[in-house]
Amino acid sequence: MFWQQLVNGLTLGSTYSLIALGYTLIMGVLNIVNMAHGEIFMFGAFVGLLLVTHLKVNIFVAMLGAALTGAILGIILERVALRPLRRKAVSHLAPLISTIGVSIFLESVALKLFGPQSRDFPSSFTAAFEFGPMRISLVQIFILAVSFSLMLVLRFWLAKTKIGKALRATAENIETANLLGVNTNKIIVLTVSLASALGSVAGVLVGLSFNAVEPTMGITMGLKGLAVLILGGMGNITGAMLGGLILGIAEVFSVAYGNSSYRDAVAFGMIIVILFIRPQGLFGSRDQQGGK
Amino acid sequence: MLNSLLNPYYLQIGMFVLINAILGISIYLTLATGQLSLGNAGFMSIGAYSSALLTIKLGLPVYLAIPTGGMASVLIALIIGFPALRLNGLYLAIATLGFGEVVRVIFLNLKITNGALGISGIPSLNVLTGNVLSALGLGDGFGGLSLQQISNCAVLLILFVILVLLLFFTRRLGFSRVGRAFAAIKADETAAQAMGINTTYFKILAFILGAFIAGVAGGLSAHLTFYIGPKDFDYHRTVEIFIFAVFGGSNLVWGPILGALLLTLLPEFLRAASDYRMMIYGAILVAMMAFRPLGLISEETVRFWRTKLGRRSSK
Amino acid sequence: MKLFSEGHFLKGVAVIALSGMLLSVAGCGKTSSPTATAPVANQEAKIGVISFLSGGGAAYGEAIKQGLDMAKEELNAKNKIKINLLYEDSRGEKTDAINAANKLVNKDSVVGIIGPTLSGEMFAVGPIVNGAGVPIMGTSTTAEGITDIGEFVFRNALPESVAIPSAVKKAVDKYKLKTVALMYSNNNDFAVSGYKTFEKAVKDSGLQIVATETFADKDTDFSAQLTKIASLKPDAVMVSSLYQEAALVLKKARELGIKVPFVGGNGFNSPQLMKIAGTAAEGALVASPWFPAKDDANVKKFVEAYKAKYNKVPDQFAAQAYDALYIMSAALDKSGSATDRKKLRDSLAGIKDFQGVTGKFAFDAQRNPVMEATVLLVKDGQFTEFK
Repeated sequence: MFWQQLVNGLTLGSTYSLIALGYTLIMGVLNIVNMAHGEIFMFGAFVGLLLVTHLKVNIFVAMLGAALTGAILGIILERVALRPLRRKAVSHLAPLISTIGVSIFLESVALKLFGPQSRDFPSSFTAAFEFGPMRISLVQIFILAVSFSLMLVLRFWLAKTKIGKALRATAENIETANLLGVNTNKIIVLTVSLASALGSVAGVLVGLSFNAVEPTMGITMGLKGLAVLILGGMGNITGAMLGGLILGIAEVFSVAYGNSSYRDAVAFGMIIVILFIRPQGLFGSRDQQGGK
Repeated sequence: MLNSLLNPYYLQIGMFVLINAILGISIYLTLATGQLSLGNAGFMSIGAYSSALLTIKLGLPVYLAIPTGGMASVLIALIIGFPALRLNGLYLAIATLGFGEVVRVIFLNLKITNGALGISGIPSLNVLTGNVLSALGLGDGFGGLSLQQISNCAVLLILFVILVLLLFFTRRLGFSRVGRAFAAIKADETAAQAMGINTTYFKILAFILGAFIAGVAGGLSAHLTFYIGPKDFDYHRTVEIFIFAVFGGSNLVWGPILGALLLTLLPEFLRAASDYRMMIYGAILVAMMAFRPLGLISEETVRFWRTKLGRRSSK
Repeated sequence: MKLFSEGHFLKGVAVIALSGMLLSVAGCGKTSSPTATAPVANQEAKIGVISFLSGGGAAYGEAIKQGLDMAKEELNAKNKIKINLLYEDSRGEKTDAINAANKLVNKDSVVGIIGPTLSGEMFAVGPIVNGAGVPIMGTSTTAEGITDIGEFVFRNALPESVAIPSAVKKAVDKYKLKTVALMYSNNNDFAVSGYKTFEKAVKDSGLQIVATETFADKDTDFSAQLTKIASLKPDAVMVSSLYQEAALVLKKARELGIKVPFVGGNGFNSPQLMKIAGTAAEGALVASPWFPAKDDANVKKFVEAYKAKYNKVPDQFAAQAYDALYIMSAALDKSGSATDRKKLRDSLAGIKDFQGVTGKFAFDAQRNPVMEATVLLVKDGQFTEFK
């Protein structure tokens, strides 16, 4: 049972990592917690689902469609909820509040549009492999692979490419980056839409893996992603990746060897403890900035 | 006219308005130091459960149980306050959000709180005041009003007095040394520290006061609604309390109170549109941040209306 | 300075108090006089409905509304006392349910109330409505202790203390069970109450419980719990939750190779279970008063009409709501008044030998329903009677 539970934990954890990557990207560059990320994730899942069930497209096309929708939602989010705040000198809590607004707005729109019932993908994606005592499904392997490669690509992109450097410069100091000729507005839009596209793809993958897509999944998974963001250290990509896996394993093992009814307290119990003993997160350094 | 005005339906809504206004004060107090705590629903639930259990299991009278519930919230606030307030803005918001979730899960699992089934049959303030009034010989009503109406009015009055007392206290606090320290911390924490203000002390003080008031409001609401369950204190409840302050304004204590008044009455006028309530709340949050980040009422609004009204009266 | 600020403070208090009063006066304009006496002929009975019409559980509220609407149309076509249904949305929240109840009782002056949807809402609403002397009947409130609230509180929802033991007993007899695992949604009052009944029924049958695992409503990942259960190899798994989680649990369980029978609480009792779980639902058992394929003229007529109108098979929420309005109407006819709340209560309490789509029905002394449950088995994607 131990090995199978470890697999379960890793799969669950990799979905958390996938969500947390989006949070982390925005946190790292804009120093903002985007509370609406979970809902963008949920919308992505629905778009993917509708594409697969109604237009009968290939799952990869569906993911592309979800990513596009996510990117558009991200651009709207930036326009409506973030840009107006940048022009004014407002409290640093303002973006948090306005993204909370976007999140409850999107959640109730989804309830209206899609109804409260959970829906599922056609079950043609449930192929599975057996490794001795372990059983792992194709989707699970795929999710693990996607999240690890995304992590690597993001790290490389931020460290080596020109846009990546501009992104890090913006993260360091918006005014200075502006003076140095970086079009910071463009960089910010790019970051938010990229993170949202990632979130939407994550939505499709998680919907596939658990075979359930419903409007409140944004808030449940979003809160977990938030926990991972803090667990791994705000704005730290490796931290988000490993933090997600740690949280997934911790949750599964709390069920396997503890009491399943406290499962939902594990995530926040862990971050409360982490914040008190190591506020910069497991993998963060004291002056972490810029998605390194 | 009086009889239809004192319809229990309106009286009940009045009670919810007052409870929400009290919650508004609780979130105002933590915001007064520039800290965003999203744990108010958690503190509310601690107050509600303590007070309900104390009256049911130990037979404590309601007027003692409710403040005790508030003190229970204070105790928990003290324990989590010290480490939590070392954290700055964002971290505190998320840590307190997490705190609310953990409290909810604990109440879901404790035997004494009856898990998801919640606690029913909580002694009701209405019935209790009704009994007191009958003992005073008003059992058959008075002046054409039924006993239910009189006792509802009495409860409304009690809540109103509590609100006014809290308001009075908050206003006095605002003009005192403590209030000025709060304002200094809100304006610039580092500068406040440099000026010799013990920022941790004042931040915790504000946090604890907020927790106490939330706990009391929780206790009051438990004794108004007969039944409480963990579901009543979830993330959506936190957002609902929080939006009072964002909508009304958090710079003056009148802000959250106005927010509570408007946002509790509005859904009743728009019952048919209740489907869209959360959507409207979301839009309000976004729009307020974009257009009026200080909320409906701020110092400037007050100054503006004062000069305007002053000019008119001088004419 | 100090004096001024005090004055300002009082002014503020006055403004708030005044605006509160003004707003409530503004709302008063529409108030109808609660003591209006209706003429004897062409009576219209106003019945309030509090239901979960928006938000996460809107699917249940919707089914209830459809069942009630259908019953209303049929009844108004033939009966003397016409029925007017006033719907209020509770959003599944207790404060909304309280406001809705107060509005129905005090402003709309209804003669009786049907609803609310959730047991938790009933615990908050019941005392108020009971105190005001208005009969209220829950159609889906299955938790223990509902009718203990007071003598105006009724329900036609079969309490789980009746349904679950009969399902467990049949399963034990048929499959010779020795060990079972229990699973339930621990943040749902209905599911927790069902779990407690399961636990008692299982212990009474002398079975050994090898594991008790919980999850939460809206959870989608059950692999940890089910992996644990799979390793303990129970003879059967008993699940108490709503159909959505139940269906996902079944799916995951079959995927992990758990092939034993599943016995469900009332949540299993929905065509949605098969729709979501597909073939994984095969072999699931549930006890229910409602069985759409029952060989009964009443049931057939109802299912046909419902299908024609809403294009789907009615679930138990619709069926019980449909029966509830028929029961209410029968009681109204018997009392002969469309406005007298006390008379309605008394004639409701005397209802017996009522033949509804959920079977023969009567209220016991505790105002709980006396009715029989059929144990159903999912076979070839359909509920069939389990014998």
